[in-house]
Amino acid sequence: MVSRSLNKKFDKILALEEAGSLKSKTGSRSLRKMMNNRLAVVGLILFSIIVFTAVFAPLITSADPMKINLRNMSQPPSWEHWFGTDKTGRDVLARVLYGGRVSILVGLGSGIISAIIGVLIGAYTGYKGGWLDVIALRVSELFMSFPQIILVLLLVSIIGQSLINLMIIFVLTGWGGMYRMARARMLSLREEEYVQALQSFGLSTPVICYKHILPNALGPIMVNITLTTAAFILAEAGLSFLGLGVPAHIPTWGNILNVAQEIRVLQNFWWMWLPVGAIISLFVLSVNFIGDGLRDATDPSQQG
Amino acid sequence: MLIYIIRRVLIFIPMLLVISFLVYGALELTPGDAVSALINPEVSGRLTEAQFNELRESYGLNKPFLVRYGIWVANVLQGNFGHSLAGGVPISTIFLDRLPATLELSVVALLFSTIVGCILGTFSALKRGSIADNSLTVVGMLGVSIPEFFFGLVALLIFALNLGWLPVGGRLLPGYDSIFDRVPHIIMPAMVLSLMMTAGVMRYARSSMLDALSKEFIKTARSKGLPEWRINLMHGFRVALTPVVVLIGFRLPLLIGGSVIIEQVFQWPGIGNAFIAAVRGSDYPLVMMIALFSVFSVLLASLVIDVLTALIDPRVRLN
Repeated sequence: MVSRSLNKKFDKILALEEAGSLKSKTGSRSLRKMMNNRLAVVGLILFSIIVFTAVFAPLITSADPMKINLRNMSQPPSWEHWFGTDKTGRDVLARVLYGGRVSILVGLGSGIISAIIGVLIGAYTGYKGGWLDVIALRVSELFMSFPQIILVLLLVSIIGQSLINLMIIFVLTGWGGMYRMARARMLSLREEEYVQALQSFGLSTPVICYKHILPNALGPIMVNITLTTAAFILAEAGLSFLGLGVPAHIPTWGNILNVAQEIRVLQNFWWMWLPVGAIISLFVLSVNFIGDGLRDATDPSQQG
Repeated sequence: MLIYIIRRVLIFIPMLLVISFLVYGALELTPGDAVSALINPEVSGRLTEAQFNELRESYGLNKPFLVRYGIWVANVLQGNFGHSLAGGVPISTIFLDRLPATLELSVVALLFSTIVGCILGTFSALKRGSIADNSLTVVGMLGVSIPEFFFGLVALLIFALNLGWLPVGGRLLPGYDSIFDRVPHIIMPAMVLSLMMTAGVMRYARSSMLDALSKEFIKTARSKGLPEWRINLMHGFRVALTPVVVLIGFRLPLLIGGSVIIEQVFQWPGIGNAFIAAVRGSDYPLVMMIALFSVFSVLLASLVIDVLTALIDPRVRLN
């Protein structure tokens, strides 16, 4: 009884609020609703664990992710190397932890940057309308006519492979969705009466649009960031797996998985690719759980 | 209606032209020179600058950019897609070679995911809030979270390498062409490819079924005393899912993108596989044509979807 139990919880929160017992605490109602969604909390915990282990990698393992040790090639997991070693004797756990830094940076970083760009453009042109709006809409349509992976690969072949290029490419392919969402929200919000009131006060367009209207669209924006982040993490993994993403010498989750293209590795050395694949899946799963929780918490129309 | 279709087509053509112009222009900026890419390096060392220029002229490479673009568009319209830099194979031959394989894979995956997704989504909506519904939701979430190629690798390890039930990759062994030779090859790639889509269709079917079941005509049907299964199937399911199924069918071209990595994992000789090879080998003409082809099919599909939606729902036409 997901939705009904969610409603019951929400009723409980409402009752507490009315009784005044929650007033003293800070934090919004949406946050409390989110914390009552079990899957979202699980997601948040998983997400934090993976991010923390990646950020504090040196505290967890003393191994160097780049250090080649030819006396220690392809060792199965042991007490010394929890995830074993790869074909050149590098510690797989260390590579997964340090690789997480890059993968999360690429995924979350490009997710947030494309959100900022999409929202800045979408909110302004959506509010203003006119020829700017038409141009922005057409440009976004251009980008969205490509299947995403095809556009990414096309851009990779044009501007070449590097970490920064990959992030630029992700932002180029990712801003469109966010732009459309922000624009659509803006089109409906700009008709509200409080906006007319602000206009009659003589406030400037950017102030009205970014300071007064935009916060009302924050919920869907956050949800959208989680979606694009999940998509980018998957895309990075896929591209690097093919050897077309982040340059091979930088450890990332996708680059670690790259060895599994070899049937011999796939069959005999499961520790080189299985754990990292599982971690990517768990990370994306946690991001999706968070996104779903955010949607339930911030979108009133989803309360069924 | 006719006016709507004409207007829609009038958006479609300039869009395609602009995109092809941008892609053509962008590839123009890539490093390297077409003539030196074509000539054997041993020979090109002995060529003088004048001979190079002569070659450029014979290929029309010294003409201004816009003229070359015009010639290229005219060629493409006549079905001359140019040649791949690797081996000089005509690109149209590569398309004819590779497209059937990709279509075969996509159609099977699409059929499977639509059928299974609709059934699971409807089931989930009818049993709303039950343990089965909740676990399906979580499974669906897993389906969109696991990288498809990773799922493919695990499937390869289990079913091909450890159990030996299915072949490791490829589409057909040379000399074997019956349906029984084909089926084992396609099972794994198609299942893996449909994983993410099944999850998506399931979510969509669930919510539109829930939506349909809350409508007034369901109450009417119930008050007429119809049995519950009939209400769900004949009234709910039909209303909720007929448009879904029709529209999903026309989303086929998007799968060209979806199958790129899967084709690589299973060595499926499709267009995605050719695309990866072209990107790796900087085979720019081929990269460009495959990308443009995918854009063309996506735009065409969305045109068809729009027209169909307009046919079904007259409100769309008036806007």
